[in-house]
Amino acid sequence: MVVGVLLACAAMTAGCGDGDDSGGDSSDSPTRLVVSAASSMTKALEKCAPEFGDAENADVKLSFAGSDELAAQIRQGAPVDVYAAANTRLPDELNADGSLEKPVEFATNELVLAVPEQSEIDSIDDLTKEGTTVVIGSESVPIGAYTRETLAKLPPAQEEAILRNVRSNEPDVNGIVGKLTQGAADAGFVYVTDVNATNGELRAIELPSDLEPQVTYGAGVVTKAKQPDLAQQFVDGLTHGDCADALGAAGFGPAP
Amino acid sequence: MTGRAWFPVLLGVCLAVALTFLTLPVVAIFVDSSPGELISSLGEEGALDALWLSLRCTAASIAIILLVGTPAAYLLATRSFRGKALVVTLIELPLVLPPAVAGIALLAAVGPEGILGGAIDAAGIQLSFATAGVVVALTFVSSPFYVRQAMAAFAAVDRSLLDASRTLGASEARGFLRVMIPVAVPGLAAGTALALGRALGEFGATLMFAGSFQGITQTVPLAIYDRFSTDFDAALALSAVLVAVSAAILLAVKLVRGGEALGVAPR
Amino acid sequence: MLRVEARHQLGDLVLDVELVVEHGSCLALAGPSGAGKTSLLRIAAGLLRPEQGHVAANGETWLDTHRGIDVPAEQRRCGYVFQHYALFPHLTAWQNVAYALHGLPRSERRARAGELLERFGLAARADARPHTLSGGERQRVAVARALARSPEVLLLDEPLSALDARTRAAAARELGEVLRESAAPTLLVTHDFAEAAQLGDRVGIIDQGRVVQEGTPTELAAAPRSAFVADFTGAVVLTGLARPGPAGVTYVDLDGGGNVTSTDAAHGIVAVSVYPWEIVIEPAGEEAHGSADNRLPVEVLSVTTVGSRVRVGLGGVQPLVAEVTRASAERLRLEPGVRVIATWKAAATRLVGL
Repeated sequence: MVVGVLLACAAMTAGCGDGDDSGGDSSDSPTRLVVSAASSMTKALEKCAPEFGDAENADVKLSFAGSDELAAQIRQGAPVDVYAAANTRLPDELNADGSLEKPVEFATNELVLAVPEQSEIDSIDDLTKEGTTVVIGSESVPIGAYTRETLAKLPPAQEEAILRNVRSNEPDVNGIVGKLTQGAADAGFVYVTDVNATNGELRAIELPSDLEPQVTYGAGVVTKAKQPDLAQQFVDGLTHGDCADALGAAGFGPAP
Repeated sequence: MTGRAWFPVLLGVCLAVALTFLTLPVVAIFVDSSPGELISSLGEEGALDALWLSLRCTAASIAIILLVGTPAAYLLATRSFRGKALVVTLIELPLVLPPAVAGIALLAAVGPEGILGGAIDAAGIQLSFATAGVVVALTFVSSPFYVRQAMAAFAAVDRSLLDASRTLGASEARGFLRVMIPVAVPGLAAGTALALGRALGEFGATLMFAGSFQGITQTVPLAIYDRFSTDFDAALALSAVLVAVSAAILLAVKLVRGGEALGVAPR
Repeated sequence: MLRVEARHQLGDLVLDVELVVEHGSCLALAGPSGAGKTSLLRIAAGLLRPEQGHVAANGETWLDTHRGIDVPAEQRRCGYVFQHYALFPHLTAWQNVAYALHGLPRSERRARAGELLERFGLAARADARPHTLSGGERQRVAVARALARSPEVLLLDEPLSALDARTRAAAARELGEVLRESAAPTLLVTHDFAEAAQLGDRVGIIDQGRVVQEGTPTELAAAPRSAFVADFTGAVVLTGLARPGPAGVTYVDLDGGGNVTSTDAAHGIVAVSVYPWEIVIEPAGEEAHGSADNRLPVEVLSVTTVGSRVRVGLGGVQPLVAEVTRASAERLRLEPGVRVIATWKAAATRLVGL
């Protein structure tokens, strides 16, 4: 009996391989393309990636997390083909140490103050009030860096008061959105595209233009990519293709 | 209340509190959302990928643990040698390692920049951020659960049974297969269940070592984490599946333990 | 023929034994627990390797530490019956018995096992698991299992001690028959002299790792070479100081008072031994009748019926035990507190220098 169970286990693993094979040699089975993208692009890429896949006979595997975490994985040798980040600094750093081919800027975004739909908060000043719970991104993730950059432009007293109200440093925008939609925080800093994606659950409060940071998204082909050509096509598609359209529809601005 | 009666009542109250605390979250998983929504979230591609991946990787991991761990546990249970206490401690080490630390340790050992990274790369194998890496992570964190139980199970087998087997002409290998293992089965089953439960729920080490790539390394626990801020129903659905599977494992072990009457030889 | 020689350190004890068991005969080693009996069996079987030793069975050398020969246990054809039987709990009775026959096809194994179980009257229990068998049944399965592949040598470790008193008598008779039928030299160990006497053709008394005396059961009882042997074989043992007397008789002044005579020659500090069944009890206050030479006034401490005999515990300057018939016990109205005279012949009194 025990021997049978063991054989069954072995068969299950053997039969399905370990998913490492980079697609088939035969032109029938789709080629696998692994894309690591910042969490803010989740909804948009989930829509356009299958379309890209159908068109190019590719099986696009998407992975979303904070851009910093994805960069660390690529440095660790993760078998990724395309890297798309919510800033240009991380792709440039990867390019500098040889992990990423020359990146391109493919979209822009807007930092906003997000609150639950019914919230009474309507400006950044309200965040200084005692007892207000604020959620922001961690220091190393783009959303967190942009937020701190913005807060630093405020008068020191105001900046301090707001930072005192920060209850959590989330690893990516999904974490911030989640806390807001579950009612665990009063306000948070995310991209306007994230607020759009909640379909009305959250409301975006625009920041004064002098506070607004320059949010530019950069992407590139990973140097150790198994499918460099296909990866390049995907990256091109981010600037002019199905994915560019999807990003635009989600509220991203065009490449600068 | 009379002088004596308060104690039994207190016992009952404590049990009621404990029971409620432990079962409410589990029940809530199934009740918080409608069955229809739960089932439809399960049908979604990412969820299916996660379920299938968890199943394959856990099965592979358990198979490795059983094949390698059983003879190892037998050796530790039946022989003494210098440094044995150290060996046992080393084998149990993953038990006390926080999962995230285990993940980092694996990267440091067999990641591309790790000690054995070059050799593994040269052999054309990808472990980190790959499905094989999930199996490595699961095996690493779960094997001590099995090996410990197996050691205890083998040590509890009456030594005279092995002696009898030898006097009846069976080699030690034969005795191991025909006597030791069958008699130790209830303990081995319990160990397997513990390792299985641990492997199914493994999160931290997998996340660090293998990442959370849908269809490649995103096992059910990772998929739950991925969905919990954006699609709570999907997280609930996957959680419900894990609860059901864990309950099934517990039940299976109880049934096998029913053979406990045959487990240990009479004194 | 089985020859076993062994010298081995066992904790505080040094095992130092040399014995020979003839073809077709049974040597029963009797001794207190901790004397090294089980270790000796394990050495013969190959389960324990002595520091120095030599084991040979029917012309084949199984162990010779001097020449570096050590045949592994699984290759020695021993039939070993363990003290608690060590039956495999997950196998049925016939599967246990057939375990040693792993080379043969299943049907043959079943048949051979069936034959053996039949011989032991267990054919009906062939498919039962050990935990459903009674103690006596398990003992028989253990013996059948040991005999399954016609071993060269039989080794039995306290084969009856795990049985309750009632089952033991029947089991002893049956085992005795099996041993008589078997041609293999048999080495049996037990802590019970009576068991050794019943099952063994020859008996060896083992104490502190050495065989202190070996012979037929009658020889041992009649002429114990030491106080230990006398005590172990069930004699009453008293201590005293001996001095020679006239006509080859020896007087012994017992420690604590009183004296006895013996036809053995000895002087100095001695152990005086006599068997309980040689002691006759006479009522106190009567004139001596019968030709018993030794008379000691004692008080009855206990009266225990064992089968058709009665064991009477007697207290005097030193304790004694007498075994009398039920009729005698009734006639004498023996009960605790009664004062009587314990008498026995000088010729039945053994003296051993201490």
